[in-house]
Amino acid sequence: MKKVLRLALLGAAVIAIAALASGCGSKKSSSGGTTTNSGGTKSANSVVGSGSFSNGSPAKGGTYTIGWENSFGFTNNFDPTGEYLGNAWGLYSNLMLRSLVGYKHQPGAAGNELVGDLATEAPTPTDNGLTYTYKIRSGVKFGPPVNRAVTSKDVAYAMNRLANPKDGGQYSFYYTVIKGWDAVANGKATTVSGISTPDNNTIVFHLTKAAGDFNLRMSMPATAPIPEEVGKCFEGKPGDYGRDVVSSGPYMLQGADKVTASCPMKPMSGYDGANGNHIILVRNPNYDQSTDQYRKNYIDSFKFVVNSNADDIFAKVQAGQYDDEVSTPTPKTIRQYATTPSLKPRMIPNVGDRTNYLSMNLTQPPFDDVHVRKALNFIVDKAALQKAWGGPIPGSIATHIVPPVLYNNGLAEYDPYATPNEAGDVGKAQAEMKQSKYDPGKTGKCTASACKGVLTIADTRSVDKTMIPILVEDAAKIGLKLTVRSINGAYTTIQTPSKNIPLAERPSWGKDYADPYTFFAELFDGGAIIKSGNTNYSLVGITPAKAKEVGATGSIDNVPTVDPDIAACSAKLASQRTTCWENLDKKLMEQVVPWVPYLWPNNVFIIGPNVTHWNYDQFTDGPAYSSVSKK
Amino acid sequence: MTQPPDFDVSPGGAAIALPTATIARKSPSQLFWERFSQDKAALAGGIVIILLIFIAFFGGPIAEKITGHPQNQTYSQMTDAYGVPLGPNGTFWFGADSSGRDLFVLTMYGARTSLFVGIVASGIALLIGLVFGLVAGFFGGLSDTVLSRFGDVLLAVPQILIAVGVVAACSTTKSGCLGGLLQPGITVVIAVIVLFSWSYIARIVRGYTLSLREKEFVESARAAGASNFRILWQEILPNLLGPLIVYATLLIPTNILFEAALSYLGLGVPATQASWGSILSQVSSSGLYNVAWWLMLFPGAFLILTTLAFNLLGDGLRDAFDVRSER
Repeated sequence: MKKVLRLALLGAAVIAIAALASGCGSKKSSSGGTTTNSGGTKSANSVVGSGSFSNGSPAKGGTYTIGWENSFGFTNNFDPTGEYLGNAWGLYSNLMLRSLVGYKHQPGAAGNELVGDLATEAPTPTDNGLTYTYKIRSGVKFGPPVNRAVTSKDVAYAMNRLANPKDGGQYSFYYTVIKGWDAVANGKATTVSGISTPDNNTIVFHLTKAAGDFNLRMSMPATAPIPEEVGKCFEGKPGDYGRDVVSSGPYMLQGADKVTASCPMKPMSGYDGANGNHIILVRNPNYDQSTDQYRKNYIDSFKFVVNSNADDIFAKVQAGQYDDEVSTPTPKTIRQYATTPSLKPRMIPNVGDRTNYLSMNLTQPPFDDVHVRKALNFIVDKAALQKAWGGPIPGSIATHIVPPVLYNNGLAEYDPYATPNEAGDVGKAQAEMKQSKYDPGKTGKCTASACKGVLTIADTRSVDKTMIPILVEDAAKIGLKLTVRSINGAYTTIQTPSKNIPLAERPSWGKDYADPYTFFAELFDGGAIIKSGNTNYSLVGITPAKAKEVGATGSIDNVPTVDPDIAACSAKLASQRTTCWENLDKKLMEQVVPWVPYLWPNNVFIIGPNVTHWNYDQFTDGPAYSSVSKK
Repeated sequence: MTQPPDFDVSPGGAAIALPTATIARKSPSQLFWERFSQDKAALAGGIVIILLIFIAFFGGPIAEKITGHPQNQTYSQMTDAYGVPLGPNGTFWFGADSSGRDLFVLTMYGARTSLFVGIVASGIALLIGLVFGLVAGFFGGLSDTVLSRFGDVLLAVPQILIAVGVVAACSTTKSGCLGGLLQPGITVVIAVIVLFSWSYIARIVRGYTLSLREKEFVESARAAGASNFRILWQEILPNLLGPLIVYATLLIPTNILFEAALSYLGLGVPATQASWGSILSQVSSSGLYNVAWWLMLFPGAFLILTTLAFNLLGDGLRDAFDVRSER
């Protein structure tokens, strides 16, 4: 009997496969038929609405629940001094912390407009751009357990903490222009001499050189005030303050009123980020709405819940169990919302101030030849890559380095490697390749041995797996035979210059604040190349000395540099500054060519049926939690 | 089964001579085939395996020829405006994957990857396990302790975690690791599988060897002055062949599934090399299971069919080799 059953099983399996194979060949699929032309003009590729949703007048109250995919992924355990995760900034900026200057928590260009927050206004620099004086707004108080007015000394304390490497600051490089910063960073001083607090309501920053975006730098969460009486409990313990963050904004960690501001401090119950479970925020009783023009604060409490299953997150959002999500909708979910009229308004794509790109290493053959780099720009089917991400809703096709929104929509039509429908152009690519030293026979294809087995590092996300066959196929058209290595967490490898990775599929970069400096300085500054954690993957501007220092080998001599351009643009202000960055973008795209930019991703959010008001926060590239409301 | 006596007894008690019956002496291979050929499931499994081997060698190229779709050619018309792959139609019999490649062609090439990994990895594991098991079982003492404990340690190691580490370590350079011996992709997958498979075989071989070395024919060989190598080679090894063949056929489907699991986790073969596991991983990681059923059905069905066929064959071989087994 046992044998009969097994035989029957095998027979059934064979018959099923045979039937399917024959049956499938005989008719058209009912699900087929929809083809797309996602090429066309750049504007046709952009699907971004108003960045907001409104269904009646917003009401106060309720608990707003957010499903957070996989893990919080904090870079410093939610300690604002070192926390570099954009989603964490969404919580800080909207709900918990008030930096000297902030934003209106709105979508689009208005959301990148700087306004006073803890300070009364964003000051105009004096002393030829070397001095910034901020006046602290009165009436702003710390939440429990501190319960006192915020003073300029609390900001100075936060800055000193940021300067001290022992406290875990992860973007302190933005503040090295402050006089005396390096002395603290090097352990030669404990306070930054260039920061003074003449009274409780005034703080002054003295710079060593002009930085036209200094006000923007003072909008980042690490600069928000920290009360010393609590901060001292966590000195030299990077990350630990995350469980006891003292609020200066409208919401605080649940349980903040149940702990005392004395060392050692017990963790506040609302923070369970260390266990990857939840974060609960409730209203800060000391918050005075009259001091804050831009946060609406309709919701009574926020609950951020980790959920490892993205499908479950979106199912719960649709069912109203979650109101919002910190996840990435897959093409399937995007299609469902885009094609279901009742759901469509609740999917909100927003400009992400981010660029996805292929990074070519200027020191590694064959990418040490600019013609090969240009040829790759011409051959890549960006429309297909856009589809791999889910089509025009998740992002528009990128044609240069910095998203136009950061240039006030400058360079919106700039496309130095335009191809029909953005689908790649074999003719243009091969014409470029013919000029390369790696195509001695002028065949239009890279025939040198350097083009065989070009090591390409990719990640293992589903979108990477979808993109790789497209890239391999495209590259082969100009003779580049890619050897793809898929690594879970590819960044670690490509951020190590000594690995000499020729081509990287994974890179994506978003702004830290609304200024192109946050792209150029971190991605193309030759002086900033480091041994590990390096973000200048293309090694633009690397010198032989620097190469030796970081262990990079290859064609090190004569790597083009843009360091002087970055320095020059950084000191400029207003429209001159924008124009300068635009020109640098063009120089990089046309002369240096370190990237193949292919997508300016949108941040697509899907909200639940109970949400009555929602809008995007352009600064944090996430939901403006301070403006949401629900039934 | 014993033969009946060649005589009978008369009612009076006198023996009556019966016509002489010819006793057909059967060789072990005849006995094996007699039992095996009666096992229809095992035979069917064997036929399916032969077919799969044919598909592994020729299926991919033939599929490319028939459809005109090269393995890694992407077809933008086979994904919709949202990048969701489209299902089977008259040209794409199995539909497309999320990159827009022909799933029929990929599935055929996937057979090559799965069978290659399954058979090669099992073969190497078998060889290593055989040598270690023989040495441990026959010589005993320190060699037994060292080899057995080493095997035990490997069995206690979390396989997937080690696989993640090995694959990551070998993938960051063009030359792979161990001086280029381990190339990322299929060779790393095979190495990882072998690393965790050989100790099972070694345990089994050791057990059999411990038993066989005490048998009379080994004792007599030893008394006749045979060397250890000769005893191992001529007395013990032939008696291990049956169990080894059985375990090999059972190990192959396990390793095919292990490769699928590694590829499912993104640790297996590159995205440009078709594998049933990596196709299945697209379904899960993209959440496509309820909108792109074909991505699960076709590679999944072939995976099930292959493992089922090997298991049925293995069961049949085991029954045929083991005369004590019930039918």
